[in-house]
Formats: sequence, structure tokens, C-alpha cells
Amino acid sequence: MSDPILLFLIVDAAALVLLGVCASAVPSAACGFVTTMLSGLGGLLCLPPLLMRATPTAFVIPVGPPGLSLHFALDPLSGFFLLIVFLSGTAIAALQATANPPSAIQLGRLTALTIAGSGLALLAADGVTLTIGVAVACGIRWLPRPAAGPLLIPLLLLAAVCLLTPSGFAPRFDAVRAAPVDADRAIAAAALTIAAVVGLAWNVPAWAGSGWAGSGWAGSASGPIGSVPTGTVATGSVTAGPVTAASVTAGAARTGSAWAGSAWAGSAPETANSCESGAGSWVAAALGAGVLIPLGGYLLLRVIADLSSSTTQTGCGFVLLLAGAAVAVIQAWRAAGHPDIDGSLVRLTQRQTGLMMASTGLALIARAADLPDAAAFALAAALLSAIGGAASGVVASFAVHAIGASTGTYRLSRLGGLIHTMPVASAALAAGLLGLSAVPPGVGFAGLWLLLQSILSGPRTGGLLFQLPLALTAGALALSAALTTAGAVRLAGVALLGRPRTPQGAGAHESKPPSRLILLTLAGITVVTGILPGALLWLIASPAIRAMAGAASGMRVGLTLLVPSSTSPSYLALPVFALLALATGMAMLLARRTRQEAKTAGPWSDGMEPPPGLPFGDPAAQSVGAGFLPAFPAPAWPGPPRLPGFAPPRPPSATAVVWLLIAAFAALLLALALVG
Amino acid sequence: MSAVLALLAQILHLGLMLVAAPAVAAVLDWLDARWSGRAGPPILAPWRDLVRLSRKQPVMVESVSVVARLMPTVGLGATLAAAALVPSFTLGMALSPLADVLVIVALLTIARVAAALGALDAGAALPGLAAENASALAVLAEPALMLAVVALALIGGSFNLDLIVGQQREGLLLPAAASAMALTAMLALVFAEASGADDGLDMMLSGTSLAMARMTGWLRRLVWIDLIGSLFVPIGMATADNFPVPWLIGLAWWFVRLGAFILGLSAVQALLGGVPRHSLADLIGVAALLALLATVMVLAGAGGA
Repeated sequence: MSDPILLFLIVDAAALVLLGVCASAVPSAACGFVTTMLSGLGGLLCLPPLLMRATPTAFVIPVGPPGLSLHFALDPLSGFFLLIVFLSGTAIAALQATANPPSAIQLGRLTALTIAGSGLALLAADGVTLTIGVAVACGIRWLPRPAAGPLLIPLLLLAAVCLLTPSGFAPRFDAVRAAPVDADRAIAAAALTIAAVVGLAWNVPAWAGSGWAGSGWAGSASGPIGSVPTGTVATGSVTAGPVTAASVTAGAARTGSAWAGSAWAGSAPETANSCESGAGSWVAAALGAGVLIPLGGYLLLRVIADLSSSTTQTGCGFVLLLAGAAVAVIQAWRAAGHPDIDGSLVRLTQRQTGLMMASTGLALIARAADLPDAAAFALAAALLSAIGGAASGVVASFAVHAIGASTGTYRLSRLGGLIHTMPVASAALAAGLLGLSAVPPGVGFAGLWLLLQSILSGPRTGGLLFQLPLALTAGALALSAALTTAGAVRLAGVALLGRPRTPQGAGAHESKPPSRLILLTLAGITVVTGILPGALLWLIASPAIRAMAGAASGMRVGLTLLVPSSTSPSYLALPVFALLALATGMAMLLARRTRQEAKTAGPWSDGMEPPPGLPFGDPAAQSVGAGFLPAFPAPAWPGPPRLPGFAPPRPPSATAVVWLLIAAFAALLLALALVG
Repeated sequence: MSAVLALLAQILHLGLMLVAAPAVAAVLDWLDARWSGRAGPPILAPWRDLVRLSRKQPVMVESVSVVARLMPTVGLGATLAAAALVPSFTLGMALSPLADVLVIVALLTIARVAAALGALDAGAALPGLAAENASALAVLAEPALMLAVVALALIGGSFNLDLIVGQQREGLLLPAAASAMALTAMLALVFAEASGADDGLDMMLSGTSLAMARMTGWLRRLVWIDLIGSLFVPIGMATADNFPVPWLIGLAWWFVRLGAFILGLSAVQALLGGVPRHSLADLIGVAALLALLATVMVLAGAGGA
């Protein structure tokens, strides 16, 4: 049954390539509509093999030099990622198709070619086809600004597959699996793959925020949602232009305040970088989160976990583990401190790459130690990160775009109070942030639980040097989770809550009904994914997990996640959600019984008189999200030695005690290393 | 029958937690005053405060959204859910399959997030600043707590709190050094929590919302005490199907544990004073290092050495 499906999928991807190439000959709305249909069809085609647990199939197109025909294959792993890529692509293309005014034709081409290239790469069964697919997906993203770096990504992948291929064979995956190469080549191939995946995920924000909008792309449209004049969005000139007067009026009408436009014009120093990303950034961010980051996860699993020799997988696993943990912490930290809402969101989605890398590393380590249950947990975490990152990232990108298009800025310090004026976009952004952060009932928490469960079930051999990376990874994952939660609270609290900080914010409006419907649907999917992660994994991911982990057991159907045995408790996502809802409901009932009618009052500014022209207080006095992170440790390193007698004796301070403890900690670690 | 007993134990546990939370706050305040040589407030003062606040007409800032109205309720609900999962006098309660230590930590996180969002929705300067400070400290404290419970889960072989406590009760929770390290880390976190890390978040609340925020704080402290008590001193804890004498013994031991912990915490606070706000990050950082060390020791199998 899956033979014709594979053929249809190839034709579908080829049609998307054709559509992308001929995009300028097709009306913009039609291009978006056809992309939606083709992408949705691809997603539907992926479902039967996944749900019916079909066996892997292959197909060869005899094109190319002898021995280098184009090989395609459809197995559970590629089917799982194809489903994610096509469904994300469907949502992105649908939003572009329903845009009013229509989005730029270049953006339609970008979407079609990125989906098509990713689909081809996921269906590839040899190095050349993989390279072609990744080149199509990447090449279009950097076409307006040619740069050597991004185009290296497909070449890095080709080099990795070639390194894994035994001498005298074509770089076909079945040949690689049949005759594993030695450790040095496998490790080099893993390093090249990691570099390619990091490049795939990392270059999204640079492309999006580096002036693409000003170089002709954004000039053609102000984005699919909203109707802010193009000049306002592209230049970030928030207080200038016709928007200001209209927004002041609208804001005053909505909030009942008597803001004076002149006061705002005089107190709005931040105009630079306010909307630097332009109209194309949301498409790039959404494609990055929903298509390219899952593709990176697939490449890690395919090239390093599937094609590499099992003898080298422990070393590769540790490298992936540490690299993934570092990526997760760094990106979460950057997200929690970024001044723009879109930049912060991009970093939150890039953190998913780190989680997938760490999960893959853990799976490799567990598989090498012959612990299939631990490997299954880690693989489930990787696949759940891919699902959660794609769904949450896409919906959050849409919501952020709606906010940017309506308010004319992405700068956090200029947003605020959007829950009053854009409730649907606010709810969608909150749902996306819930999925990206590590708080139940979000899907991010389920992924974190699985990762930590994998460490819990992982190997306990090898002494300190073997176990230290696992402990450090657990710490890094916990830190990354806390940073992500802080970042999500910051985005939601500053941008959506409080009072508006600008007239544009006060006068923001919701997007058109079709876009709102898409936003709400995606938000619902994101929430349901977090509440029923076990069922979702069982439906579409269990064949891939079983094939990769080699575990026949370990999978339990229903509301729970993977558990090692039927007697061991697990994370019960739906009952936990029900408990939370029940407890909150009880508290709400109690409050309703005792609550009296509230007396309303104006904003309290600690007894200070409101500034002139702002009778309801200065909105800029609210938090702008600058202090959500702890101060970065800046130890006072010892300076040059002083001569005895000149330095007055200093009493030991609390800082000295802390550093003494750290030194003792390091010494203890060293002692443990020597002992064990 | 055992299912009925498990349900009965769960209801009794939840009721005890709700009653004990203000009582613990009252006793701590009274002890604090007594250590300073003052008479101290009446023991019933917290309950009176709750009743008084719930009868007052609340004042709401006109610009707040539904979030500010809901968040005290969500915070109380999340803390209540966490309290329902942490055993007090017996194991094997009806909700024990849900009692995952990571879930408990996450529920406490939800309560903190709810308080921060409510403060930010007020749109005033000081609550926003308090939310920022609380978030900055939580970035350090939450990984520390999570690492400490991961270390204990690694020792116990499961994230389920009942299983970990059961092993500890039978003296199987080794290595002892790592366990002690995790205990120290959690005590440091409790001390930091007691020093008022969340001051200012309820500044804009009034009436019932303020009563709920107060109750959330008291309940949170009791959850901490119970978590540490059950993980490290599970003496006398009954199982739900052993009724009624083991229950009574478990209840008596729970009161003893609670009293000892309150006395200890109060004495430490009286002797050392509260931790200054600028030193809280250092204290929490040390707790995180200790928790990491406990994890390393467990994983390397060197904790018993």
C-alpha cells in the first residue's frame, strides 16, 4: 500500500518545486492556495502508513549518472517528520493564502520551495537526493542575499554521507547500513552533520532580521494580517505617519483614556529596531520552527543514529548530549533577554534543536549500552520536541506577526495590554509559549519529563567521567527549562498584560476572521498535544521509536507516556491537567461565593502625580522585561599581588564563602574522579 | 475497600493541609515574636485575616484584564494540587499515581508564574519589579529544586514520590551522602523561600484575591515542609489500607515532624536573621551546586564512599 503513497509523495514534492519555480506566473493568492492544498495532501498521504504501521518501501528514479540514481524511501521515521513538515507547511501556506492584502509572491515561493525541499530530503534514501532536497530548502532562503555559509549546509551533509559510505559504493543509505565504516570516519560524519543542523537552525534570525524587509521583500506587502501601512512596518517609525492619529483615536475610544498624541510623539525615543524584521520575518520564523528545525532533528536521527556504526555511537552520543545541552541553555538565556518579541520567539524555537540534539545523544548512549527502554524514552523526547516545537513555534510566530502587523512594532518595551485589543492573538501566543516552556500541561513539560526519565533509566557504568556529562545535562536541562519559563512569562506579561504603552498598542486590532480561525485551530492543537502526548506518540511515533530503539516493549497506550513496565507510574498528563483544573475550579467556586462587587480605581503610581498629558499614569513606568534574568556572575578575580603590610586585613565576606564553596565543590569533583 | 480508604486518606490529607497551612504561619509568627521577646500575635490571627479579607470589598485597577482576576485562583489551585500530591501521614492515597516529583515542582512553578502574571497585569511599577525579581530568583531556584529531586529520583529509581518515600522508609535510599547533600540543598531553598523571595507580588491585590494569595503562600510553605519531611524523615508514615491505628500513629508523627521543622526554621531565622535580598541569589546558587553534586555522586555511584 505504501508504494503508491511514496510515489504520490514524490510527485507532491515535485509539484511544490514546480509551483515555487513558477510562482511569479501565478497570482499570489492562488500560489498560497495551491501550496496549502499540496502540502495538506502530503500530510494526509503520510497518515495511512503511520497509522497502519506499514513496512518501509523504496523507489528509484533512474535519473543521473550511472550508480547515482535518485533513491527514495518511506519508513516510519521519515513518515513522522514528513507529517510534521507538511502540516506545518499547510498552516503557513493557509495563512498566506488568506492574507489581506495578499502576501508577496516571493514569500509564496519561499514557502513552497522550503516545504518541497524538506519533503525531498525526508524522502531521500541516498546522499545525492538528500543534498538536492536540503539545497532546495536552504537555497531559496538565502537567494536574496547570496552568502557562502548557508549553501555549505547541503555540502556538509553530502560530505557526511560520503564519509559513511564504504569505498567503492554509491552513497546510498542501504549500502551505508550494510557495511559500517570505521570510527574515525563515523565521528567526522557526525561532526559534519551537527554543524549542518546547527547551521540550518541558526541562520533563521540573521536572515529574517537583517534588513530583508527593506530590500524589496517587505515593500510589496505589510504582511498577511492587519492593515498597518507598509512604511510604518518597514521602517519602524512608530509615531510617524497616518497610523498615529488613527491609533490615538482608537486607543482613546477603547480605553476611555484621554491620551494626547503630542505627548506620545515627544516621549517615544525608541524607533530603531522596532520592526526591523519586516513582513518576511514571520514566514521565515514559522518555516524555521515548523519545517527546518524538525528537518534538522530528522537529519540527526537519520545520519548519526541510523546510518552510523553502533561502535561509535557512545562517543557521538556524548558530543551530541553536551552540545545539545549547551544550545538549550544558551538559546533559552538569549530568549529571556532579547528586547524584541520576534527575536525572543525565534530563540525559543531554536532551543528545540538543542533538546533534540540532547535527546538523540541520550538515545545513542542508551542504545550502545543495550538499554532499549532508556533509548525509547530519549527518542520519544526527541520526537515530542519536534512535534511541540513545530506546533507551538508556528502558532506563536503567527500570533507575533499579527501583533507586529497591528501595532507596528516588535519591541517589547512598546507593547502591552494586547489582551484587551487582540484577545485571539494573545490566546494563541499564550498557547504557543505554553508549548515551548516546561510547564504542565504544555508539551514542553512532557518532553522534559521524558528526557529526565531517560537519564534515570540510562546506564550507570563507566565511573565519574562517564556519568558527569549525564549529571551536567540534567542540570542544563533544568536550567534551560527555568530560563524558558522566565522568557515565556516575560513575553506574555509584558506584551499581552498591563496597560498599552503606545497609541498603536492601544489601537491594535484583531486580524481578519480566516486568520483568527487558523490561529485558534493551531492553538487548540498545541494545547491538545500537551494534554495527550502519550496518545499522540502512540499514534504517529511508536513505529519510529520501536525501529530506532530496538525495543519491543516500553510502549503503553493511552493517556500516559512511555513507561518501562505496566507497574511503574509515569507522567499522567491528562489526569494532572484534570487535577489542576479541579483544584482551580474549587478555588474559583470559593471565590465566587465570597467575592463582592469590586470597586474600580485608576492605576496606582505610588502616590505620584501622573505626568502631564497622561491622566491615567505613565504606561512606560511598567516593567519592560529587563530584569527577568539573574545578574550574570561577575566574580571579582584576584588582582596583582600586593606587598604584605600595605593591604589592610579584610574580613571574610559572603562572596568569599560562596567562592570557597565552589572551590570545595571542584576539589571534591577532582577527588571523586581520582577515586572512581 | 482499599480504594475507599485511599480516597478517604486523600480527603483527610487535603483537609489537614488546608487547616494546617494558616496554623503553621501563625505558629511561625508567634515563635518569631517570642524569640524577640515580644508577646506575639494570637494563633487564630491568620484565619481571622482570611475571613476579614474575604468580607472586604475588593479594589481593582480599571485597566486589569481577566488574567489579574483569575491568577490568584490559579495560583491557589496549583498549590492545592501540589499539596494534594505530597503525602503527610500516609502513603498510597488516591492521587499517589500522579505524585511525580517533577509534576509537584512544576505545579509550584505554575503558582509562581500565576503570581508573576497577575502582578504584571496590574500595570504598576512596583509589582512589575517584584515579578522581575521573583523570576530572576526562580531561574536559579527551580533548577536547584529540580536537580535535588532528580538526585533523589535517581537514588529511588523512580520519579514517583510514594515510591521514593517508601524506599526511604525502609532504609533503602542510599547513598546517604548524596541524600544528605540533596537535603541540604532543599533546606537552603526553604530558607531562601522563607526569607521572602516573593515580596511585593500581591501588592495590588485586595479582598478575596489577597486572601487567596496569602493562603497560597502559606500552603506553599507547608508543601515544602511536607516534601522535605516525607522524603527525609518518613518515620511513622502509614499506608492507606492500614486503618485506623497506623493512621493515628502517622498523624501523630506528622504533627511531631511539623512541630520540629517549624521550631528549627524559626530558630535558624532567629539566630541567623533573614537572608538579605542581595544574598538570596548566592544562597540559591550554593543550593544548586549542592544539588548538582548530589546528582553527580548518585550517578557516579560514589555517594556511599
